[in-house]
Amino acid sequence: MRVSFRNLLSQASRKFLTKSLTLTVSIGLSVFSNISIAGERLTLTGSSTVAPLALEMAKRYEKNHPDVRINVQTGGSSRGINDARVGLSDIGMVSRGLKDSEKDLTPHVIALDGIGIIVHSSNTVTQLTRDQIVDIYTGNIKNWRQVGGDDVEITVVNKAEGRSTLELFLHFFKLKNSQIKPQVVIGDNQQGIKTVSGNPGAIGYVSIGTAEFEHNRGTAIKLLPMDGEQASVVGVASGDYPLSRPLNLVTKGELNGVTADFIKFVQSDAVSDLIENQFFVAP
Amino acid sequence: MSDRIFSFSIYCISLIVVAAFVWIISDVVLKGYSLVSWDFIVSEPEDAGRGGGIAPILVSTLWVLLIALVIALPLGIATAIWLAEFSRSNTGAVHIGTALDVLAGVPSIVYGLFGNAFFCIYLGLGYSILSGGLTLACMILPVFIRTCESGIRAVNSDWRLGGIALGMRRSVVVWKILLPAAKPAIIAGLVLSIGRATAETAALIFTSGYVDRMPESMFDSARVLAVHIYDLTMNVTGGDQAAYGSALILIVLIIVLNALAQSLLDSWFRRSEYS
Repeated sequence: MRVSFRNLLSQASRKFLTKSLTLTVSIGLSVFSNISIAGERLTLTGSSTVAPLALEMAKRYEKNHPDVRINVQTGGSSRGINDARVGLSDIGMVSRGLKDSEKDLTPHVIALDGIGIIVHSSNTVTQLTRDQIVDIYTGNIKNWRQVGGDDVEITVVNKAEGRSTLELFLHFFKLKNSQIKPQVVIGDNQQGIKTVSGNPGAIGYVSIGTAEFEHNRGTAIKLLPMDGEQASVVGVASGDYPLSRPLNLVTKGELNGVTADFIKFVQSDAVSDLIENQFFVAP
Repeated sequence: MSDRIFSFSIYCISLIVVAAFVWIISDVVLKGYSLVSWDFIVSEPEDAGRGGGIAPILVSTLWVLLIALVIALPLGIATAIWLAEFSRSNTGAVHIGTALDVLAGVPSIVYGLFGNAFFCIYLGLGYSILSGGLTLACMILPVFIRTCESGIRAVNSDWRLGGIALGMRRSVVVWKILLPAAKPAIIAGLVLSIGRATAETAALIFTSGYVDRMPESMFDSARVLAVHIYDLTMNVTGGDQAAYGSALILIVLIIVLNALAQSLLDSWFRRSEYS
């Protein structure tokens, strides 16, 4: 039996096997030898809007605390709520205020963000009332002519289910998602801007900081004012612009140890330049 | 006359396909070229990826890929050999074949959700290079097995019979005759797998994760190139430039890896044929 086994593994195949075995073992070794390096670990999951900001804040925190590792994962605000609640993460990232049903979690505001209505830059419409926006999104107004623009069909761009921009938009205009008749459903902010800038009849809503930045670098979009208030980062900071949201870190139960320290850090002045770099407004 | 129209339209169609390919590549090269430098490759990302480089992301990509291939290659070739040579096409094997075909067509996000639920949560591996590599292995296995299997089946039966007539063991026939003869198919399967795995976003964003730090162990969460490009284009304001740079690196990486894989397999087969 042993002899036949040896024959089976001819010399060349044996070499190959040995090689792959060595490889597997060395990978295994590197895995186990490195476990002990890690000190404290924090996991953040949730909103893709907050994630790049939280990642930058985490990096700066790690620089000051070399023994701490902070892992940031994305997936949307609903996921942030859920993971923090069931303990899959230490901190959830949520890009809206908490609802009544979520009061078991504690919110910590780290930045503010406004939501702006954007249209293509060739659009001649300069402002829309709340009722007009509602009519456009519910499909009662189908052509820009009906609100004083050119004879162009309106393409309604809506956000995907589970995005907090959508929830804030629906809440602000007292709409249900089932009432909205969208032609395009998008996920992230940049995707919204790309969709609207590529379609002269489109209307959408995205983060103001992002829209302002893209507008200034020449992307074919423009921001419409809301209730007569200019949609701008300045307007969000002063509180004059009505359609804005807090960006929250949420935690469950008592804060302690590294979690408490990290949250204190991200609410301090030490990170205000990072907030600005991500086109948000420091609270 | 109709012959001419036929060949003319064939030329036109292939021209359109080549043009689309050239357009995509040149778009990425033209917009990404200015950013790519040695510094870009060896430095850490800054400012949410808009500045700095992609060193940790490149390393993570290679680790995830290595794990996926180390697991998928032996498993895949062994399964292919069993399906083609030893299963005698019994009902079990037919069902496995059908299952593989269905799995090969499953969208990668489904593998991502499975990997997240099974490797990250159930097995407790968390967001890690290991979870990502294992998920990728599951994802590339069906295509790899099927390609190798059809390669082995396609080997002329005379060669099998000849080997057996010479008194060779079945296992020796497989190692010395069938596998070397099926080499082109195995290489094709490998190239397909590497391409699919390296360019994967959906299966990895929820398994290996989003963290862009240099990985310290297999249990660290790590961002791969495709996830980095996705985040820069879809989520980070002003990240387009860096995304083009990273995309260019990704294309070059896939070409290099494919060449490497081919030459490795080539040299292995050469030794197994003549030793």
